[in-house]
Amino acid sequence: MIGERMNRTNMTLLAVIAATVAALFFAPAPAQAQQKRPNIVIILADDMGYADMGSFGGEIRTPNLDSLAKQGVRFTNFYTHASCSPTRSMLLSGVDTHLNGLGNMDEWTAPNQTGVPGYEGYLNKRLATLPQLLKGAGYHTYMVGKWHMGKAPDQIPAARGFERDFSLLDGAGSYWDMTNFTGASPKSVFTEDGRYLTKLPEDYYATKTYTDKLISFIDANRGDGKPFFAYVSHQAPHDPYHLPKDWRNRHVGEYDKGWDAVRQERLKRQIELGIMPPGTELAERMWFIPDPIVLAPASRAILGKKMELYAGMVENMDHHVGRLIDHLKKIGEYENTIFIVFGDNGAEGSDLFEMIAGSPGSRDYLFAAINWSQTHPNAWGDPGSYVGYGPMWAQASMTPFSQYKGWMAEGGIRNALIVSGPDIKRPAGSINHGLMHVADLMPTLLEVAGTSYPKASQPDLPPLIGKSWGPMLAGKVDSVRTDQDYLAWEVFGNRAVRQGEWKLRWQIKPYGKSDWELFNVAKDPAERKDLAAQNPDKVKAMLVAWDDYVKANNVILPSRGPFETLENVLPQRVQVEAGFPPLIYKRQFVPPKEMLADPKP
Amino acid sequence: MKPIAWLRLVFATMLVTSALFPPQALAQVPGRFYWKSLSGGNALPLIYNSVSGNTNPFDPSHTVSPGASVDASVAMAGYAHTFTLADRSAMAAVIFPMGRISGTVTTAGRTFNQSTSGFGDPMLEFNLNVLGPPAQKNIPDALRYEPGVSVDLLADLALPIGEYDSSQPLNIGQNRWYGRLGMPTIFQLGPWVPGRRTTLEFLPAVWLFGENDNYVGQTLKTDPMFQLDAHLTRDFTEHAWGAIDASWYSGGKSSINGVPGSKLNNAGLGFTFGYTVSDNLNLTFGYKSTINDTGPGDMRMDSFMVTLVFGWHPLIEGSKRLKK
Repeated sequence: MIGERMNRTNMTLLAVIAATVAALFFAPAPAQAQQKRPNIVIILADDMGYADMGSFGGEIRTPNLDSLAKQGVRFTNFYTHASCSPTRSMLLSGVDTHLNGLGNMDEWTAPNQTGVPGYEGYLNKRLATLPQLLKGAGYHTYMVGKWHMGKAPDQIPAARGFERDFSLLDGAGSYWDMTNFTGASPKSVFTEDGRYLTKLPEDYYATKTYTDKLISFIDANRGDGKPFFAYVSHQAPHDPYHLPKDWRNRHVGEYDKGWDAVRQERLKRQIELGIMPPGTELAERMWFIPDPIVLAPASRAILGKKMELYAGMVENMDHHVGRLIDHLKKIGEYENTIFIVFGDNGAEGSDLFEMIAGSPGSRDYLFAAINWSQTHPNAWGDPGSYVGYGPMWAQASMTPFSQYKGWMAEGGIRNALIVSGPDIKRPAGSINHGLMHVADLMPTLLEVAGTSYPKASQPDLPPLIGKSWGPMLAGKVDSVRTDQDYLAWEVFGNRAVRQGEWKLRWQIKPYGKSDWELFNVAKDPAERKDLAAQNPDKVKAMLVAWDDYVKANNVILPSRGPFETLENVLPQRVQVEAGFPPLIYKRQFVPPKEMLADPKP
Repeated sequence: MKPIAWLRLVFATMLVTSALFPPQALAQVPGRFYWKSLSGGNALPLIYNSVSGNTNPFDPSHTVSPGASVDASVAMAGYAHTFTLADRSAMAAVIFPMGRISGTVTTAGRTFNQSTSGFGDPMLEFNLNVLGPPAQKNIPDALRYEPGVSVDLLADLALPIGEYDSSQPLNIGQNRWYGRLGMPTIFQLGPWVPGRRTTLEFLPAVWLFGENDNYVGQTLKTDPMFQLDAHLTRDFTEHAWGAIDASWYSGGKSSINGVPGSKLNNAGLGFTFGYTVSDNLNLTFGYKSTINDTGPGDMRMDSFMVTLVFGWHPLIEGSKRLKK
């Protein structure tokens, strides 16, 4: 994925540099011996959008996450992957998806990828994982929440370095119980401390229980002097939007104004906050999404209610993050804890439930009829309900970007990132626009822990692709990447390269052109203007980077994919222009009062 | 995203779950009579009762004649309209009772074995919600509506223009003004989701009666009567529901030419089964019977009831036309 032609020589060099920076940045060895190394908490929100948190322009109330932003640093140019498992695999391995086992989502492994190393569908055995290395460096390692990187005994969190865990192994499921989505896999699979659960705890609600468990893990080992690494992999706010009743009605009617108004308001706040530069344009509303102002109030209300629920999901998650923060403060660990907060990919705009249960008469349709048929709006949030908010709100969540999860537009891969904690030398509450990547976490956190990637002693390990944020967090540089460094992605056949201000993107029709498009995402983050035709040399240069990436990471473009028939399903793509057609926008003509008259007899 | 599908859901929810029933003044009303619906809705109820007992079912005072035996077929047709008044749900309705009655009644020492038929006293009803969610003025309001605790004020007035024969004690019309003041109250128990709704409903009411100065040549007066109806209702599915019904009557002592009768102090039990046939049509079937009715002065009455209510709203009808 990440450029820089890494061979063993420069990996060694990188390790030396990283160790040097760590030594300079994270305190000298004698002091470390006396001062406890920082705890590390990664809060990963599932499908949370770039613009959802208040500190990134959202109207959703996230005071606890915002408090971390206020004390730490916000990053506006942070990239994950376009879907779940690839991001998670890079987070925990530092290795490109096509080498770490998640070259594709397990659920969508293509025939030509099956059996190929790097495409196993789980975090493969050739890796050294972040929790393994941190554990070896003397950290307690805890995980709660969603795993989605393998279910077999040798693939689960306990087998991949987590000392304690309470994990949902599936990619999604009910928040209330073990109900999953298909007739073939009707039950979600959970593990606790490496054992497969036969039932869930009393009073189970995913977000709450994950937090309870993590707090209990932390408390159980308190006092032994060891720092901890906690991977808080929340299921929220991934659909279905299951939510306790008292969290469902906190935004009643607020979203009836529609997605365009919400996007405009969010962008305005982003510009005021400094998240986006003045003059930033909103991405074009996707061509198959109606202008909300032409919808009937009923439609706006029902669609708005979906966003109300989503907002409740984010707020509920924030509440439980607040519980964790409060607990760490209470036990005196907060000040010595690094928090890293982000979403795993773009917000979800596809209808997962329709994909699973949309065919009447199918096995999964019948399964849904029994288990997922609480469709009435008043049942939304209950067990048995399945609500996702659709592409229109996903695009609002990803303001100002284009598209959403699964796609290589900025709306699919760019995410809000907050880092706070001790030893960060950047001003509290500041915003950084440096180019960053989820795979950077591996080298960064190894540095924090005072250890390193054991490439030298285990030469068969695949190379790390990220760069440590150490110098940047120390305030020495604004970005750990130069304009020559590139990032690259591929999943479902969609692909992209980011280098400096430029982004080269190939997406299947109709979301893309099934051809390369070129955008200057610094000036045009909404990717409105394809500049490929005007900049053939730039395209050519970036294609060299792409080819390099493919070769270095054994990228195999899939022969099949989830979007292969999309062009036949969606309306023909047209450009969306405000106020067109005037036919449906022109209001009633009101003549001058002085010219009014009754008909003559 | 299919906005029109959501519209249909809204309309269907609105009409099938809302009781646009007018009051059934002559007996206890089924549960869910006073559920609220979108303002601007309309309903035509058709109600049929087959009643047996010792009192005239067309007479809400339920004047009991010891030894009387009455059988009646009571039908009612009406029209109800929902609207918003000062941001509260309101309903106005009119009912036209009609039917046949036959039986044996002894009054003032004379025994009448008679039958009669025709139109009864039309009744006007006005109901206004005073506590609970505001009126459902538009579709979004209807989508978000849950009754919680809902309390109404209810007023009925019967117009004494129904068929009346002063020579006979059993009549369809009552030859006097009468009416009711009530407070329909609904407690939502649990989620407000079709298929899972449960309510506990009460209708405490006071009936007030004018004087009939020509009741078989005599003067009939009736004290105010307190009536309490209670219903525990529960959805079976999205389209079917059931209720256990109870009633208690107290007071309403009648006097004929100053000779007082007994006060009522009776209770009744019953059940109702409701089914939504379509977006426009509701059907209920019920049975009720008095229970402490063995004394000579006790009211004794049982009835089978079938109701058919056709409801409509211009929005849903327009939407259906667009779908064609």
